[in-house]
Amino acid sequence: MNVTGNKYRYHRRSWVLFAVLIMLLLLLFLADLFTGSVMIPFKDGIRALFMPSSAPETTRIILQDFRLPKAITAMVTGIALSVSGLQMQTVFRNPLAGPYVLGISAGASLGVALFALGFSSALTWGFMSGTGAWSLALVAWSGAFLVMLLVLFVSARVNDNMTILILGILFSSAASSVVSILQYFSSEAMLKSFIVWTMGSLGGVTFSQLAVLVPATVAGVLIAFYKTKDLNAFLLGENYARSLGVNIIRSRLVIFFGASLLAGTITAFCGPIGFIGIAVPHLARVMFKTANHLVLVPAVILTGANVMLLSDIIAQLPGFQATLPINSVTALLGIPVVVWMIVKNRKFAAI
Amino acid sequence: MTGSPTSKAIEICGLKVGYSPANGESGFVREAISFSACGGEMIALIGPNGIGKSTLLRTMAGFQKGLDGQILYYRKPVDRFSPSELSRMLSFVSTESVQVSNLRVADLVAYGRFPYTGWLGRLSETDRLMVSDALEKVGLLKFARRMVTQLSDGERQRALIARALAQDTPFILLDEPTAFLDVKNKYEIFHLLHQLARENNKTIILSTHDLNIALREMDKFWIMLDYESIEGAPEDAVLNGWLDRLFSSGNVAFDTNSGDFYFRKEHAGTASVQGDEPAYSWTIRALERRGFYFTTRGKADLQITISKDTREGSLIWTAERNGQTVRVNTIYELFNRI
Repeated sequence: MNVTGNKYRYHRRSWVLFAVLIMLLLLLFLADLFTGSVMIPFKDGIRALFMPSSAPETTRIILQDFRLPKAITAMVTGIALSVSGLQMQTVFRNPLAGPYVLGISAGASLGVALFALGFSSALTWGFMSGTGAWSLALVAWSGAFLVMLLVLFVSARVNDNMTILILGILFSSAASSVVSILQYFSSEAMLKSFIVWTMGSLGGVTFSQLAVLVPATVAGVLIAFYKTKDLNAFLLGENYARSLGVNIIRSRLVIFFGASLLAGTITAFCGPIGFIGIAVPHLARVMFKTANHLVLVPAVILTGANVMLLSDIIAQLPGFQATLPINSVTALLGIPVVVWMIVKNRKFAAI
Repeated sequence: MTGSPTSKAIEICGLKVGYSPANGESGFVREAISFSACGGEMIALIGPNGIGKSTLLRTMAGFQKGLDGQILYYRKPVDRFSPSELSRMLSFVSTESVQVSNLRVADLVAYGRFPYTGWLGRLSETDRLMVSDALEKVGLLKFARRMVTQLSDGERQRALIARALAQDTPFILLDEPTAFLDVKNKYEIFHLLHQLARENNKTIILSTHDLNIALREMDKFWIMLDYESIEGAPEDAVLNGWLDRLFSSGNVAFDTNSGDFYFRKEHAGTASVQGDEPAYSWTIRALERRGFYFTTRGKADLQITISKDTREGSLIWTAERNGQTVRVNTIYELFNRI
């Protein structure tokens, strides 16, 4: 009897779900392009996308220079945060872990704040666009990775889900205190742009920033794929992972490097965006009913991209002139998922 | 695996395990541990709580370094094996309960193939066969597609043992595999491991507190005490009185004749019993629990005769004490009356 002969039977569910999610992704991507403060007629929009020369000039500019980068950013953000969240939940065996909750995003913010408000006070906030993209990403990555190492170091000593979460909150608070101090000493103009950044925004990302955002996310996702086998082993706990021949420390470092690359990049360009990283992996697990990361990683990629596009569409408030901060939308979408997950588990069981 | 019956598969000499004191925490160290085992043997690691059985097993599995001395597998020190070599040499079943949601039993067992699969962890045809073979050996084949979270404690333990089997290692280490199981499951797990050791020539080392079962099923005892380590067949342990030394308090002792542990009790008097088996032995057992000393010589304080009611076929206990006679139908009643 071929008990794991799942290729045809219990992987069929996954293939169907993948197909559905890809279709949904295309739909939401298009819908995201067409929602915004300016209504674009469907025909004009299609023309602007596929035959730019024959479309009205304004439509072309709105779509190509504003909405297309924003939609791509939304997708990439969803992917990066969700994959990073999945990795953290698995490695810490903690269903409530995520880049935002554990303070990884705060670490990245601190890096950005130190750089933006501290070192470059002489410069203008102009570094946010264009030339500064790489340096901005670099400081965010270092901030994220440092907090990640700190969490890793502490978790090696205190192996308790609650403690790690509380520590994450403490790290976040400490980081935001430092940011507050920096804000106190910075000029009004810089302060304003920094505050806007902390609200999170997908719209401010330019093509030259996408040139950093996309490769960094691709690299992070590739690391996640490369480590799927180790991620699976971590599910059983450290002892079992080790007895299966996993080099725990090296494997954790590589996974955390990838996770902070993903979370740090997004934080650098879009600001701290919460609850995607924690909620999406749960949605994916519920849909795909598997613990295998070879399925979960692509599942989380597709789910995350979809959820983030949906959040962006909601943030545009179709039919209204105003837009909402993306951060609030993801929180309002993500928190119910987390609450439901806690109620379902009734306790902090392993994921 | 290789090795003649006389060659040692595992040798532990002068091992020192534990944690050196650091950061204000008091350390824990156990010294001078020396044990050995031949291939295909089934070993019980026994000792009082907190003596360091888990620490020894963890050190043997390479999870932590020994502080001194050596652990040799086929004459090669454990720290000379690379993690991947070690994962093909020994598998480990820990005390922690595996509760991963959305994980199927077959997938859990397939984890055992981890050291043999490529970087994506895809299972080959051989791997799948090994998995179903392991499931069959532990009797969980029909549960293969069930979620791990839906298994009972005993079934989950079997699944974890199947995982260790699928890892296809000559050594299997188990940390208290029967700790949370009921009596039936305890026996079944021991029996299963015994079978695996015999039929697949695995060397199995497990820590346990279930001495009654271990006495029957194991080939060798490794006994960890405060300042020394003793090893030998379970019977040697009984005959040499080693098991008594497990209990420093003195309230519990090992009965060399019955192969059981008992609490030392206040002496209640002597008793004699006449009758047929099995009621005979069980009556003596009940008397001993009440602190009576069983005797066959002379006139005992309490004389019990077991007879059979010819009409109904039920048993009758007749007890005589200080000239008074009591006739009852159950042992429970017997002790209520005297």
